Amino acid sequence: METRPLGDTGHDSTVMTFGAIALNWLEQEGANQLVEHVLDYGVNHFDVAPTYGDAELKLGPKLRQHREEIFLGCKTQERTYEGAWRKLDRSLNRLGVEKIDLYQVHGLEYDEELNEITGDDGALTAFREAKEQGLIDHIGLTSHGDPGLILDALDRIDDLESVMFPLNPVVVGKDDDEYDYEAVLARADEKNVGTLGIKAFAGGSWPPTDELPEADRPFANWYRPVTAPDEIRERFDFAAAQGLTSVINAGDPKLVTMILEAAADYDGMDEAAQRSVIERARHDDSPVPEQLHH
Amino acid sequence: MDVPDTVATALDDRPVTGRRCLEAGAGVGNATAGLLANGADRVYAVTNDRDHARTTRRRVADSGGDGSGGDGTDRGNDADRLAVLEADLRSIPLPDGSVDLITAHGVCNVLDPAALTAVAEELSRVAAPGAHLVVDDYDPLPDGAAIGELFAVENAASELARCRPALTFYPAAFLRRFFAGHNWEFDRERTLLEPVPWTESHVSAHADEAASMAAECPGEAGDALSATARGLATEIGSESVGRMYSLAFRRPG
Repeated sequence: METRPLGDTGHDSTVMTFGAIALNWLEQEGANQLVEHVLDYGVNHFDVAPTYGDAELKLGPKLRQHREEIFLGCKTQERTYEGAWRKLDRSLNRLGVEKIDLYQVHGLEYDEELNEITGDDGALTAFREAKEQGLIDHIGLTSHGDPGLILDALDRIDDLESVMFPLNPVVVGKDDDEYDYEAVLARADEKNVGTLGIKAFAGGSWPPTDELPEADRPFANWYRPVTAPDEIRERFDFAAAQGLTSVINAGDPKLVTMILEAAADYDGMDEAAQRSVIERARHDDSPVPEQLHH
Repeated sequence: MDVPDTVATALDDRPVTGRRCLEAGAGVGNATAGLLANGADRVYAVTNDRDHARTTRRRVADSGGDGSGGDGTDRGNDADRLAVLEADLRSIPLPDGSVDLITAHGVCNVLDPAALTAVAEELSRVAAPGAHLVVDDYDPLPDGAAIGELFAVENAASELARCRPALTFYPAAFLRRFFAGHNWEFDRERTLLEPVPWTESHVSAHADEAASMAAECPGEAGDALSATARGLATEIGSESVGRMYSLAFRRPG
């Protein structure tokens, strides 16, 4: 599978990152099998979070077995120094590893949060101490929210080495600033910050829960995903062709193999074909940034 | 105001800022939106369809554009820079040599050869010396394209009802030579879409159009064409096939 430099981290990530939230929906044996399956395709970048149910615990056994093959991303929604330290310790324990390669501020949504994490008692102080102690190697940030806020974060956090944000044809086809994640991609590229794409496979928002309860949704994603193999392939190719370092799979395990296949076969997408995908999705509603879930 | 990527791509190497522009055949005003966003001094959106004229006006009015797009200079409100003219493209109500840039975005395919000739003559008349012309359209569909069958039915209904085809897909090479024959110097060609996404709403709109014209046809032929069009639309759903191209020309200075 193609690899690309993750900004200045020195790590070359595969063009697909395994979003380990998929493990949350499996029993341990199935989780083990899925991790082996993902590794068989050559994927070398995994991403997990304490908010993904028990995905950290289920990733643990195979992560420890294959620790050298996996660049491990994890994250915290804590915004304070104390909280970030507490969550980092907890994730290290639950994963059963001595170090997390990329530790990320998770789900930045509001200006106040950015002020808080960058303050003296903010989470980033804890991140930097953890880095000095060798518990993490790199600092990143994720957001499903306002692209302008991510741009501010890129400008204000000098040691930021990766950003994770939504990118798909629906948002690329819209001109309003609230969908302008392309500006985030461009600024990150300028600053040589790695870029991780989420929601590449978003087909739209789910109906309200009173119309379709979460338990009845056919896929365990925050959004309604595209599901046909040719659509999955097209969405993967589109996202990878925008220049992201890596594209993260949709969170439902039923979709992972199709995305692995698309990633393994990725060989670019020309501009006319990219425009074709945008044109088809141009009038669709976007599940981001309105639907702010992690 | 969302400007489709096709329009943005077709205009991105054209000098729009500060120019007097003409959108020939404003449908929903996509090229008009692109021209205003790129800093056109004035845009004349010409259409003979009242609904299209209304849509274009409303779209620009609703955008609340402040005219600061393009080069960042204040060019006044978008609506103040737009004139929607309800007129036939074969008789454009503008003086000779009065526009600097013309777009024909997805227009040629609805002009039969005779109409295309008349329109090309009129576009050439209103173009100022040194003016630019951007022609965006579709290559003929490849054999086996399902949507091609629907277009064939639409054309058959149109021929019976109005004695002319509804759609003519001119190859890029043909329009290149054609406009050269009207004293336009070829500048460049680029592919805008490949494949072209014919969405469910496109397919449904063409089926409606075919059925509407079939209703004007006498007897059983009309009924059969209408039923075929509806059936094909259901069967096709949506299809991505074919190529949309952009040609750019320059009027000798």
